[in-house]
Amino acid sequence: MPLLEGRNLRKTYQLSRRNSLDALRGVDVAIDAGEMVAIMGPSGSGKSTLMHILGLLHAPDTNHGPAPELRFDGEDMTRLSDSARTRMRAGSMGFVFQSFNLVPTLTALENVMLAANYGGMSSKDARRAAGEALSWVGLAERADHRPMELSGGEQQRAALARALVNKPRLLLADEPTGNLDSARSAEVLALLRRLNAERGQTTVLVTHDPAVAASTDRTIHMRDGLVESDQLLAHVA
Amino acid sequence: MTLLRNLARRRLRTTLTILGITIGIWALVVFSAMANKINALVDSGSDYYVGKVIVSDASSGGIGVGTVPIDLAVADEIRGLDGVAAVDPQVQVPFEDVEFAAFGMPKIIVGAVAGADQGLARSALEPAQGRLLAADDEGSLVTVLGSDLARELGSGIGDAVVLRGVTFEVVGILQPTLTAPDSTAMVPLAAAQDLFIETLPPKLGAALIPSELASQVIVYPAAGADDAAVAARIDALDAKVSTMTSADFDQQVGSTTLIFNAIIIGVAVISLVVGGLSVINTMAMSVTERTREIGIKRAIGGSRRRIIRELVAEAGVIGVIGGLTGLALGAVVVVLANELGRESGTILFDLTPVTAIFAVAFSTILGMFAGIVPAWSAARLDPVAALRYE
Repeated sequence: MPLLEGRNLRKTYQLSRRNSLDALRGVDVAIDAGEMVAIMGPSGSGKSTLMHILGLLHAPDTNHGPAPELRFDGEDMTRLSDSARTRMRAGSMGFVFQSFNLVPTLTALENVMLAANYGGMSSKDARRAAGEALSWVGLAERADHRPMELSGGEQQRAALARALVNKPRLLLADEPTGNLDSARSAEVLALLRRLNAERGQTTVLVTHDPAVAASTDRTIHMRDGLVESDQLLAHVA
Repeated sequence: MTLLRNLARRRLRTTLTILGITIGIWALVVFSAMANKINALVDSGSDYYVGKVIVSDASSGGIGVGTVPIDLAVADEIRGLDGVAAVDPQVQVPFEDVEFAAFGMPKIIVGAVAGADQGLARSALEPAQGRLLAADDEGSLVTVLGSDLARELGSGIGDAVVLRGVTFEVVGILQPTLTAPDSTAMVPLAAAQDLFIETLPPKLGAALIPSELASQVIVYPAAGADDAAVAARIDALDAKVSTMTSADFDQQVGSTTLIFNAIIIGVAVISLVVGGLSVINTMAMSVTERTREIGIKRAIGGSRRRIIRELVAEAGVIGVIGGLTGLALGAVVVVLANELGRESGTILFDLTPVTAIFAVAFSTILGMFAGIVPAWSAARLDPVAALRYE
């Protein structure tokens, strides 16, 4: 059984009264536990929308076309309330974004602790877990710095620590190297790779960088809101 | 901690909002302190009338210093009535002819025969120094001064003071009561009667015999006798006198208290509206600026409830700080004004613990209430859209 399975995923954004955008037009996707998958495609192909739906940030449309299905660990996710989806995000998912998205007033440690706290840890446990996560990404000495005082690579590593602190079943990364130079990019990518290899971390990352996609196990190509191709990479096959 | 850091992010704006609340709470504190004092004065006035029937000349209208004297013969007639335990004729003379401080307690000279109340006066006065007047002081020029009056005149025991042109020897100074006796000079009845005659136009004064007049007569009903019934009997006795009981006093003065309480409610409402709007404005701007941050928190699993709680707590802190600052500034004004007023015997403010606690609690709750609407709209943001917000 796949960890994550979606069927008939559709999303139409109403941009104005007459203008709507069919971001996803019926996508079927299945991600197995332990996989590291890249979603690629030109901008507007629906790859971010797909990630938002897989990450329970948005719900798939249910008001047109065949009924969508979305199962996480066998459980139906399409009918969850906002607060139930929030709890799932907090406990079972980790997010890494292109623009890091750390809370500017909090130190790296506090940013990571915040997620641990949302995941239900006491502040004592959260502090310990956050410290461990920061050590794992090699940022222990920078833990008390605010995002503004960190380089882009360091910020993204702090964001990765935040995503990992609750030991999520699924790690979702939206263009995680999009704002980094190639050296920092390689660092972050190496961390993601290691995470997958050492812990079997299921990872879905959205990218338009073929080099990033090449370092994953499987690439899903999207175009115009549909899956164009879905292939295992040679080194896995 | 995080909360204060968030507030410190926009220091000027937060300060201005806090300032707005501070001013509102400051006004609330000062007005409430004033109202407390006035209510206390009215209560003590009301207290003064309990268990007494005050008899004065019908034309002088009731409360205060009677300017038209009544004939002491009336006092003897009242003494013979049913249900009367004691009769205490008094003469009240203004300390000065011009009363500037109409608001505070007027300074007066009160003449009475010591012991005429036969121990029925409810609030017995205690000397701080020296002694009280005694019955055998009648005929001598001695006085017992209230605490404020003694301080103002700078007089001690054995000093000579001049009351309306006549020199008296100070034999006692009273304990402070925070009410009318503090600004009173007590003298023997006969001395006050002489002073009283002097205040009248010469022609009128010459026609009167000092020893046969009083400005009012305090009648103490006997135990079990009804004030109103005794008052009715006195009214029936002589058409030239009018009576006042504690019920009459409450009726006359109660409306004044109502006006002051209405002013305080008005100030509270204005500070509620102004302070509340400025907190709503600050928090709404803060939410707009932090849209992205709220998106991050929602995305990584922060519940709507937590977002609301965080922002409402922040607004509450604005309220607490504004409330405490307003209370502190209000207290400074109250203390300074009372110190200045002490010189002239006009103490206008009484800042009670209840008022202080109410003011701070009020501004805290106000802040939190005002924070609810912006917090609610923040919690409703779509996390994805909020993350894209620049």
